[in-house]
Amino acid sequence: MSYLMTTLTKKREVDTIIRDTIDKVLVLRFGRASDPVCLHLDDLLRKSSREVSKFATVALVDIDSEEIQVYVNYFDISFIPSTIFFFNAHHMKMDSGTADHTKWVGAFQKKQDFIDVVEAIYRGAMKGKLIVSCPLPSERIPKYQLLYKDV
Amino acid sequence: MATLADSFLADLDELSDNEAVVIEEEDVDAGNMEEDVDGEMADIENLNYDDLDSVSKLQKTQRYVDIMQKVEDALQKGSDISNLGMVLEDDPEYQLIVDCNALSVDIENEIIIIHNFIRDKYRLKFPELESLVHHPIDYARVVKKIGNEMDLTLVDLEGLLPSAIIMVVSVTASTTSGKPLPEEILDKTIDACDRALTLDAAKKKVLDFVESRMGYIAPNLSTIVGSAVAAKLMGTAGGLAALAKMPACNVQLLGAKKKNLAGFSTATSQFRVGYIEQTEIFQSTPPSLRMRACRLLASKSTLAARVDSTRGDPSGNNGRALREEIRKKIEKWQEPPPAKQPKPLPVPDSEPKKKRGGRRLRKMKERYAITDMRKLANRMQFGVPEESSLGDGLGEGYGMLGQAGSGKLRVSVGQSKLAAKVAKKFKEKNYGSSGASSGLTSSLAFTLVQGIELSNPQAHAHQLGSGTQSTYFSETGTFSKIKRT
Repeated sequence: MSYLMTTLTKKREVDTIIRDTIDKVLVLRFGRASDPVCLHLDDLLRKSSREVSKFATVALVDIDSEEIQVYVNYFDISFIPSTIFFFNAHHMKMDSGTADHTKWVGAFQKKQDFIDVVEAIYRGAMKGKLIVSCPLPSERIPKYQLLYKDV
Repeated sequence: MATLADSFLADLDELSDNEAVVIEEEDVDAGNMEEDVDGEMADIENLNYDDLDSVSKLQKTQRYVDIMQKVEDALQKGSDISNLGMVLEDDPEYQLIVDCNALSVDIENEIIIIHNFIRDKYRLKFPELESLVHHPIDYARVVKKIGNEMDLTLVDLEGLLPSAIIMVVSVTASTTSGKPLPEEILDKTIDACDRALTLDAAKKKVLDFVESRMGYIAPNLSTIVGSAVAAKLMGTAGGLAALAKMPACNVQLLGAKKKNLAGFSTATSQFRVGYIEQTEIFQSTPPSLRMRACRLLASKSTLAARVDSTRGDPSGNNGRALREEIRKKIEKWQEPPPAKQPKPLPVPDSEPKKKRGGRRLRKMKERYAITDMRKLANRMQFGVPEESSLGDGLGEGYGMLGQAGSGKLRVSVGQSKLAAKVAKKFKEKNYGSSGASSGLTSSLAFTLVQGIELSNPQAHAHQLGSGTQSTYFSETGTFSKIKRT
């Protein structure tokens, strides 16, 4: 709990971190600090950031900042919190049985779940895949309904 | 009896004269002087306990009186910092200090002798006291206070002993088997007590004097261990130069009491520390670190003594620096270990999985296994020198490879899977033809120079045999003679 997570508010910072994380999975959480689910996820991320530090970097992006809205629109973030994975500046997708493969919506139930997900992404990325399947059983994956143009 | 009483009275007269002499700082008359022995401790055979003087001679010696007088003078004069230019050994004050050191050791021995004397005399009155009060000076004080009294409730021992011991003494005295002493013996005993106390006071004076001068004589050493201990160390070593020549392990043991009485267990005896034990640094370290602190102190004080013996640093800065170093080291030892950080997980798939068996693994290991050629080269025949690559024993040895009588003209290279793989790769690189090659061509080209020897590799496979076959002892031979006994 003594680790301060890097919080990004500017577009330039986000660009730098995506570009500069080499051979490590980059975990970007898009959310705001006031939301309880976000807080739960943040807590998990903070606790496990040291353990995965050898193959992953974790950062928080505040979606309330105006510069970040570009990314919010690009990644189509509508649910808070959303986590997006990168590897060597490639966007990694994960099929977890939900509708949206490009991001992970919601928090994790356990710290180990998060570590498993990151590990799966890492293995897939090292093999050269751009999309991996989720190692978690479906009970532990948060479910949500995707709205499409308010339908 | 009369003559005996007379001789006793004469002794008493002499004693009082002598004490007056010591107190009034006059020179001793030649008539009162007995044998001018060096004041060393009396021989054990000299057990003439009737006469205190035959046992304790120190106070009458010229040497003792001279030194005491000089010490008195110097103490009254105050500190004297005039002679900085002189070499240390020529300084008369230094000589006095050396003498004082020796004298203090002698006084200690003398006190022990007097203690024995008092103890023997007082045994008739109160035998258990000697086992309750060990320290000689305390014993002398207690004996003086009790005198010939049988009832200890009338005697006030406050201030002389710790209260617990006073209680034990009182209880033991009420059940003691002793009887009151006759008058003469009591007087002698009280005299001996007085003498012991005087000697103790003299010793204190001498030590004070040395202490006060210690800062001038050995400033660095006294900064580290304190002047009292420095004085004692110097005294026991026999001078500053002698102390400087000692290795640090000896300095650590200077003044260590050897209390291992025969038959007593050494399990409880404290570790071997000498005067260093009395320094404040040692006293203030926690008991678990005391051994290390003692060694550290001994080594640094030896360094300081060496600096002092050559007058390298009269201001004492060196000593202060060493003291600071010691303090820092001891503090560092007491630091708690750094907090344990949780270890991050290893990178996934970074360590290849260890396969412990299976057909595939075996096949893989065959590629790197030792070939028959290598096996032959590793072995040697008994009594037959091997050939080597550079000839004459230099270079790599060939072992049984190519030896006469091995039945082979050439060693055939066995099927080396690794070599096969490498050759295939090599062939592909070099001879990778477009594919238009007929099936009748081969890479062997028969010329007149190059002969071909086809040998049956199976025929000589037995030469290597299994690892269990002996290459030295014959498999078929038997014992030459078996006798029945």
